[in-house]
Amino acid sequence: MAEGAIQAGCRFFAGYPITPASGIFKTMIDSLPSKGGVALGAPDEISAIAYCIGASMKGVKAMTATSGPGWALMIESVQYALMTETPLVVALVQRLGPSTGGATQGAQGDVLLAEFATSGGYTIPMLCPTNAQECFELTVLAFTWAELYRTPVILLTDKEVGMTAERIDEDALPKITSQDRMCTRAENGAVSDGTYFFRAPQEIPAFSPVGGAVKVTATGSAHDKRGKLQKNSPETLEVLLHLEEKLRWREQDLAVVDADLEEGAATLVMSYGVTSRAAKDAVQSVRKRGEKVSFLGIQSLFPVPRKKIERALQGVDRVVVAEENIKGLYRSVIERYCSGRTVVGVNKIGSMITPMEISAALLH
Amino acid sequence: MNTQVPIEPMPAVRTQSYLNEQAKFPFCKGCGHSNVMRRLNESLVALQPEVSDVALVTDIGCIGLADNLFKEIHTVHTTHGRSTAFATGIALADSVLENGKLKTIVLIGDGGAMIGLQHLVHAAMLNVDVTVIICNNFVYGMTGGQGSGLTPECFITATTPHGNIVPPVDLCEILRHSNASWVGRTLATDQEFPNLLKEAIDFPGFAVLEVLELCTEFAVPENELTGRKLAEIAEKNRWQLGLISRNDGRQPFAEKYRGISGDAAAKGKKKEPEPKTARQVLMRRPLSMVLAGSAGERVQSSAALMCQMALDAGLYVTQKNDNPVTQGSGFSLSEIWFSPSPVGFTGIEQPDMVIVTSEEGLKEIRGQGWLARLGPQSVVYVDDSIKVDLADPRVQRIPFRSSFGPKGAALGALTFLADRKKIIDADQTIARVGQRYGEDSGKLLKKGMDILSAMDGAS
Repeated sequence: MAEGAIQAGCRFFAGYPITPASGIFKTMIDSLPSKGGVALGAPDEISAIAYCIGASMKGVKAMTATSGPGWALMIESVQYALMTETPLVVALVQRLGPSTGGATQGAQGDVLLAEFATSGGYTIPMLCPTNAQECFELTVLAFTWAELYRTPVILLTDKEVGMTAERIDEDALPKITSQDRMCTRAENGAVSDGTYFFRAPQEIPAFSPVGGAVKVTATGSAHDKRGKLQKNSPETLEVLLHLEEKLRWREQDLAVVDADLEEGAATLVMSYGVTSRAAKDAVQSVRKRGEKVSFLGIQSLFPVPRKKIERALQGVDRVVVAEENIKGLYRSVIERYCSGRTVVGVNKIGSMITPMEISAALLH
Repeated sequence: MNTQVPIEPMPAVRTQSYLNEQAKFPFCKGCGHSNVMRRLNESLVALQPEVSDVALVTDIGCIGLADNLFKEIHTVHTTHGRSTAFATGIALADSVLENGKLKTIVLIGDGGAMIGLQHLVHAAMLNVDVTVIICNNFVYGMTGGQGSGLTPECFITATTPHGNIVPPVDLCEILRHSNASWVGRTLATDQEFPNLLKEAIDFPGFAVLEVLELCTEFAVPENELTGRKLAEIAEKNRWQLGLISRNDGRQPFAEKYRGISGDAAAKGKKKEPEPKTARQVLMRRPLSMVLAGSAGERVQSSAALMCQMALDAGLYVTQKNDNPVTQGSGFSLSEIWFSPSPVGFTGIEQPDMVIVTSEEGLKEIRGQGWLARLGPQSVVYVDDSIKVDLADPRVQRIPFRSSFGPKGAALGALTFLADRKKIIDADQTIARVGQRYGEDSGKLLKKGMDILSAMDGAS
């Protein structure tokens, strides 16, 4: 993830130690200075994310990384980044909760806590890698989304992906670059305004850095289209709507899945993150037994890749959703797209869900 | 996507007033905030920064209404208490990564200063170029006059109706002792205020100016407060007024950071890649291994070395580690897959090999239930110093500790077994260990291998 961030042009990282996210912090401390960036330790997670947002407002791509307990402290400022439309990437490396839970145990229990971190439940784009290569690729993509849509983006992973060492073929990594910051530009001597100004709700204005030629008016309070604090005027409501609308408008561009659909399969297994790996193994072993089964790994958890899920559901009458939490948190979100089908969860906590456990559910 | 509404760029000309003449001050009659706004404007006029070089970062509360009063300068209205932290981020990016021209000024109340005390302390420690103006009117004015951490003793507020019984903190002293480079305190009505504020803003490092003021709506009526009484409150609390401390000798964070990161780059810290010594290996099926020993006995680093060797040999590997949160005590455990093809699920449902090099390791292996997950082909290699039930034919006792020493047992066990399983030849591992840790380490490993090979031959 750290290497993906550097590849994406991240030049500012502020962190606070927490298992299992400290590896990203350490790598950034070691790597960023020589890449012309700055990485430093903050006295708490609240400061860490605020430093990153401040740096981003100054025009620099920024990232922080944490785990559940630190995320709890960051939520306040994630909302601020969303409200002020400040690009930001936050890696959330999950561990067992609630509270301080189990520092060295993996889990997939933060998916809804992370997504629904705002008052109002605004969509925060969320990417979820399953292995080292995807950690790199999806981090680059997260930075692109943060820039294109002027939003915080969550990279959701967990201890098992974040702290497992594995082979990655550097030569095989795609030579991808990330979207540069799209700043307001001078045209014919005049600067097009754009701090928070937009016309249609789905329009995303160019960014104006603090210290730049265009005056920045930013506020975490409800504001008009130019960023001025206002109380409940029709225009402030339009701005609030715009925060959601700008992403909903581009839902199709924000859908990333790993689909392995089998013709004629009546069963579909859906999963994400580390559990996707077990699900894929399970699919292979079930197919070896002559059974037909489809697999859909969800890499962009939010906005929900609705269309791609609906496509995968064609001809399917039984859906298995595997994730490492008790209640089937993401299942509760996608169940609504599975109407008329049996939806079964494979869930547990304390250790990874195994391919055998998923196979058992597939063969029932 | 770009908006096409042309507007004039910020004027480069020097300005006579940074205040927006049309804007009416939203503060109550007699409120100290109005004074702060005027003095801030006067300070800026005196210093004449380019409007685009000023960032005004405001906190929550009445003082947070300042944004709209200023024209052309950048304004960032933040969340409660966090203004200093956002400002620090802006200043860090500006000073370390850019030209450092920005003047970042924070307006925060006494309530915000207490919530965000950590941010003030750290900004002072870093010595970023941020000027914090703490507008201390002793109460939360916007929410109904509740007491804050800076409310004086005996003060009547909405939440201290019988008089405050908790002594307030001296923020300036806290920050002075946090190495703040410039610390001052004044009264909103004091003649000294404009000069102090100008000096604070002009100061190239972290500066904090606490301004004692009246909240005419809440603090004044209940406490018969007057402008003159502010000085008495300061005296009673032994709150020093005027310039409290100024240290011109402290280097700002950006200078220091650029210094050390430049040094690191110059020293060429980048390590040379290790020569790949391992020969290509042809494995027919994946092999899983669980290695458990004691903290400090190089369990995880030995596993990492073996994984690196396997990688060099063209295999796919994964390594998952486990240890108690204290890291330096108790057990240490690694789960490894060696595979000819990419590894999907990284967990081990049925281990091919379990290697135990210490009592603590065995305790953890038992605790995690590994022995219950053995298959018919699984083998458990246990150091022969450990007391273990030998009835299971799958258990083999091998003198790892006595052959390689306690700190070499994990590496020795891996070297021995990887060799036996024809994954990595022992001579290659010995050569790599010699390269990485020095010749003596390689020799120790070789000596242990010789002991075990002799036993193998004898048995």
